[in-house]
Amino acid sequence: MNNLETLRNAAKLQWEQLKNNPIPLIYVGTASCGRAAGALAILDAIRKTLEEKNLTARIVEVGCIGPCYLEPLVDIQLPGRPRMSHANVTPERARYLVQSYLKSDKPAVRLAIGHFGEDSSEFVQKVPRFFDLPMLKPQVRIVLRNCGFIDPAEIDHYLANDGYLGILSAFAKGPEGTIREVKEAGLRGRGGAGFPTFRKWEACRKAPGTQKYLICNADEGDPGAFMNRSLLEGDPHAVLEGMLIAAYAIGATRGYIYIRAEYPLAIVHLKKAISQMRAYGLLGKDIQGSGFDFDITIKEGAGAFVCGEETALIASVEGKRGMPRSRPPFPAIAGLHGKPTIINNVETLGTLPNILRNGAAWYTQFGVEGNRGTKTFSLVGKIKRAGLIEVPLGMTLRKIIFEIGGGTTKKFKAVQTGGPSGGCLSEEFLDTSVDYESLGAAGSIMGSGGLIAMDEDTCVVDLARYFLDFTQKESCGKCAPCRVGSKHLVEILRKITKGEGEPKDLAMLETLGDTIKRGSLCGLGQTAPNPVLTTLRYFRPEYLAHVKDRFCPATVCRALLEYRVIPEKCTGCQRCVSVCPTGAITGPRAKTHNLDASKCIKCRACYEICRFDAIAGDAIVIKSTRRASDE
Amino acid sequence: MNSVPEVTIHIDNQAFAAEKGMTILQAAQRHNIYIPTLCAHKDLTPFGGCRMCIVEVDSMRGLPTSCTTPVEEGMVIHTQSAQIRAVRQEILKLILSEHTSSCLICDEREECRLYSTTIRKAGVTTGCRYCSNDNRCELQDVVEHAGLQEIGYAVQYRDLPVEKEDPFFDRDYNICILCGRCVRMCQDVRTAGTLTFVQRGQHTVIGTAFHRNHIEAGCEFCGACVSVCPTGALAEKANKWDGAAERETITTCPFCGIGCQMRLQVKGDRVLGSLPAEDPLINRGQLCVKGRFCVAETVNGSQRLGRPYRMEGAVKAILSWDEAADLAAAHLAACAPEEFGLFISPNCSNEDLYVAQKFVRAAMASHRIDNSARLFYGAGFNAYLRLFRRSVPLAEIEKAPVILCIGLDARYGRSVAGVELRRAIRRGARVVTIHPRQHSLANVSHLWLQPAPEEALDLLRKLAGLAGAGKSLSTAFRPGGSLDANIAAAALLLRDASAPVFLIGSEFLSCHDAPEILEAVWQLAETANAGVLPLPAQNNLLGSILMGTFAEVLPGGITAADTERIRLLSEKWGTQVRAGVSSWNAPTMSPDERLKVLYLVGERVPGARSLSEFIIHQDLYPPDSRQDADLVLPAAAFSEADATCINGEGRIQKFAKAVNPPGEALPDWKILSLIARKLHVAGFEYEDVSDIQREIASVVPELEGCDGASRQERRLALRLDLPGIRSFGHAAAAQQEGIPMMLILGVAEHQYRGTSLAARVEGAAAIFPEDTVEISPGDAAKAGIANGDEIILRCGEFERAFPVRCDKDQPEGTLHGVVRPGQIPYPNPLSVTMRKRYVQSR
Repeated sequence: MNNLETLRNAAKLQWEQLKNNPIPLIYVGTASCGRAAGALAILDAIRKTLEEKNLTARIVEVGCIGPCYLEPLVDIQLPGRPRMSHANVTPERARYLVQSYLKSDKPAVRLAIGHFGEDSSEFVQKVPRFFDLPMLKPQVRIVLRNCGFIDPAEIDHYLANDGYLGILSAFAKGPEGTIREVKEAGLRGRGGAGFPTFRKWEACRKAPGTQKYLICNADEGDPGAFMNRSLLEGDPHAVLEGMLIAAYAIGATRGYIYIRAEYPLAIVHLKKAISQMRAYGLLGKDIQGSGFDFDITIKEGAGAFVCGEETALIASVEGKRGMPRSRPPFPAIAGLHGKPTIINNVETLGTLPNILRNGAAWYTQFGVEGNRGTKTFSLVGKIKRAGLIEVPLGMTLRKIIFEIGGGTTKKFKAVQTGGPSGGCLSEEFLDTSVDYESLGAAGSIMGSGGLIAMDEDTCVVDLARYFLDFTQKESCGKCAPCRVGSKHLVEILRKITKGEGEPKDLAMLETLGDTIKRGSLCGLGQTAPNPVLTTLRYFRPEYLAHVKDRFCPATVCRALLEYRVIPEKCTGCQRCVSVCPTGAITGPRAKTHNLDASKCIKCRACYEICRFDAIAGDAIVIKSTRRASDE
Repeated sequence: MNSVPEVTIHIDNQAFAAEKGMTILQAAQRHNIYIPTLCAHKDLTPFGGCRMCIVEVDSMRGLPTSCTTPVEEGMVIHTQSAQIRAVRQEILKLILSEHTSSCLICDEREECRLYSTTIRKAGVTTGCRYCSNDNRCELQDVVEHAGLQEIGYAVQYRDLPVEKEDPFFDRDYNICILCGRCVRMCQDVRTAGTLTFVQRGQHTVIGTAFHRNHIEAGCEFCGACVSVCPTGALAEKANKWDGAAERETITTCPFCGIGCQMRLQVKGDRVLGSLPAEDPLINRGQLCVKGRFCVAETVNGSQRLGRPYRMEGAVKAILSWDEAADLAAAHLAACAPEEFGLFISPNCSNEDLYVAQKFVRAAMASHRIDNSARLFYGAGFNAYLRLFRRSVPLAEIEKAPVILCIGLDARYGRSVAGVELRRAIRRGARVVTIHPRQHSLANVSHLWLQPAPEEALDLLRKLAGLAGAGKSLSTAFRPGGSLDANIAAAALLLRDASAPVFLIGSEFLSCHDAPEILEAVWQLAETANAGVLPLPAQNNLLGSILMGTFAEVLPGGITAADTERIRLLSEKWGTQVRAGVSSWNAPTMSPDERLKVLYLVGERVPGARSLSEFIIHQDLYPPDSRQDADLVLPAAAFSEADATCINGEGRIQKFAKAVNPPGEALPDWKILSLIARKLHVAGFEYEDVSDIQREIASVVPELEGCDGASRQERRLALRLDLPGIRSFGHAAAAQQEGIPMMLILGVAEHQYRGTSLAARVEGAAAIFPEDTVEISPGDAAKAGIANGDEIILRCGEFERAFPVRCDKDQPEGTLHGVVRPGQIPYPNPLSVTMRKRYVQSR
């Protein structure tokens, strides 16, 4: 009765019915990112409009399709017409769109930014295909293939789209065959270090013992990273199927999903998906007659960054304080409760069904030698087109930032790869291939996939201080180099941003960074100094400007800034006088205002109001000027 | 023995053999190669936190820590390369940037040590005496090895308040290096789980959950964390400024019948403190709060007696030993056998006990000797002693599949057994505890059978009945059910276990139905074929019986009615030992039959003056009141004389002399022998304890080789019948005004030589409350009582006032308190009426 093929046929039928809809379909992206942009209010507006105007349509809530800068997205598909996508929708715009599409003979197609049909269709007018948009065109969507297309709360949608074919293929190949397939596909762990997945699996499979565990690491803690969240919210079954495959390959009977409690929506979707799997005979005893037993438990993390580290994660699952321990023994030999344990990242697991379904040969067509397949990235920062992207490994940073991301708002300055543990790379590295080795050689890391682009308004010293402050606060406190060393790093960087730095501080940063890298126990400490060390390497003049000239070229470090009124431009409108909280700006109406630097607290209020609300617009400037250092 | 396979490793270009499974650090230490460490400790699991022990291994990337990396065949290890030395120095600098470091890198530190004999003066002179650990600090060794001269980093002083509110040890986490030894000790070895890391990043500190103080957090005050602290962050209050010990003496703890082995820390002629010994038989490197923190203050009190004296009215007249013995002899010579009584502590050594009873029987031609164990065990004494017939060694806890704890609280006293118990739980043993109140085993046991105060007997009988039932029980093991369901589940466990072990605590011993309760325990043990560990509160209970320190018991634990044994003793001692059983015992003493001489050896009798004309008080400390003694004789403590005792397992163990007694104090046996010789009685010419041991062995053949050299436990067949004492006070069930409550009283068990440890040891009062009762907050609110108020409890003739302490774990409607032996009312538990006592304000 739980025969997967029967269920799939029913699901496919349902899916076809949805596709060949007799009634209009309205897709709303309601993942966390969409919600943050206001998707729930839009959903509300659409429902109300349908009710008020007595219109019929089916609303489908889907996950994130990627381009954050276009959120919220509302797609409308009329019967027999292509699905039309509308970006940056407001509730008012949503009301208008619904009425226009559902009531008018001439829907407002011109307002769409992309469509999901054929260009030949007259209906689409001059709107391009959604996937021909510059941000999406260079992408290859394997892991994210279903995100934005299926309702994550419906297992049938996943099934209809070749879901759970991967695990059937694995069952057919047997555990060894599955490991071989993953080996041939050249899949490397997507959690950050890029360790070959099959090698861990083999060690675990060969480790003695009958009780083995599989843990899905969904403790995505990098600031600015949201790849795993989007996948779990948009297509939870892909990850769960990946867990089935991995567990089957290594011989695990219990699985855990270690997910941060800050991802409530992902947890809701996972819980729902797991209960659907049980109902469909995809969890429990003798799954689909394969003789393979497996069940999954969700374990919520308490918000510690370090718990993304394998051994700390295991301690946390065991109910202990999340603190890493030294290896050997590796978790594949002695992990959870001392038993062989494999920890795979969400994205690694999400890739597996595709490899098993389509074969290793298919997968190796993507990427470059040694770095096969695709990788998802959170492309954020001062970038024009921010969002979640998936690209083949080996693409250059330049292509990612300028073609996909559309470049930075001001002049490009640097890109931070790998989150707070990664490195900050300058312009000369733009042609670096994005693969594990090339990024490592440049002093950075691939990491789990955070890409933060920066323009000339970013001060690299301040950036390093920000990341170090984060890792320092998230240090578990176990080993001295990380706990104490990162604290000193932060203090020295803070000193420099305050204009109190000395040239010898730079040497100290280097020695200290080196000590922390070499002396720390776990990956957190070993990579924590990367932002400092790489910025020191590639942006040394900027550090020197801070310590020697008391000058912040990016005009960020507040202690090194000066506010000035340009007399020729000031119209004496008194807007700045009215907002200055300390009375630093004075002057009668229609006369040039005077700014008393001794009273100025550099709150930026006058600058903002002059730019946006005053006649002159640019009479107040913020400047950092070179000064001789105190010595 | 299976030999562990060996591997060859190369450390600093030299080949060494190492056992497989060893870490690099262990292998290096075995071959005396120094690798600096701060967080590694031989008793603890590897941690890898301080990073000082990093090494280079040719086949491994990075700098692995030698304390966590296992050796492998052919490993090439470098411990002193330039890279290693540099990184170590840098890490050490980082550690020291958080740590006050003037005693580590100050230029004046050598000169400073000149003042170390007057340590407080050094603080005044140099102004940097913030840590008591100078010369004991492991950080000093590591800094010296690294040759560190300056730190270079800004000081990151944490400025945390020093935690001093808990008893026994202070905590200054400003000088903590977060090596985690204390946490691992508490969590992994003691399995107590009081200490943990809290916070993260730079705010990481050692602490308890929710920042509760240690008493509230469930700390057992075993001091194991203090012992492993490499710095002065954890420091014993009593001896923190005393510096390092000069030598140590292995001896037996005198504070309970478990008989843990410990290392007395000695400096000059003074015991500084006590640390656990690595004894594989009993305590395996652990002690409880009494052994760890109560020894030094018990033997070092400023009131210690150093010279004999007599009381002339209110004036003390110092005597020489000769004069004192003459005075005692004069009074004793004029004293008929019926006009004499000797009361001795079961804390005394075998030799003291033996000589004391011989003194009574040979020199005084009497049988009038008694010891306070009779008072402690009350009515259930006989039934309690019978349990020893099924006694097993403590090590059985480790193997038992099912363990039943009856009235046992192992938080403070007996925590060594508690550790074994928790370890057993970790390896999969099932533990059932029977206790009427919240106790240390409540949260770790699989089943807690919680009878109402009067229902303990009923529960045990039910359990015995079910465990003996032939057919299968319908109830499956299901914790959390009703009491009856839990009893059935426990019975099932006991029935199916191959060799369960019972641990007996003190909770039910003071109940009026203790004889029946203990009888039920015996029945249950017989049915379940269980080994029993009675865990007596007295360190030498078995010695006090086997040496014959009861009127009705002869040496060998044989009844005094045994005429053949009387004849044998007469022959051995060369004097006629009186025949016939004496019914005299200490609790029956009354002013109506006033004695001529009452001889108290390490015991105290309240109101003794009314019981005897002349009182000899022989102890470490003066009598509680001046009227209570006529002649005061200074005795040696357990740490001041070689002797032996017998623990609850029947193991003969040594008390080793660590220091000289204060002043002219002498061991009890020497004083008794001196007086006996003054009485011109032959047979008391002992030169040292070995003479006495030889004589004991000749009188009691079972104790052959009783010098404590072999610590083989002996199953001792006690052939005697020691009647307990039924009641001390009685109460009619007349109704009085006030709130009806159920009062349960226990006997104070943390005693040494007649005095509560709480009276001798600062800090002990906080954990061994005496003469107070606990009340539930609900009852207290109803009666308008606050913490520290006094209540009056009445029931017929029984009337007593107690200060109260609110305790959220106390069940509603009940009161619980601890009183001195001999003050338990009958019945116990007792229905009383409670009212608040109002003190008139002036």
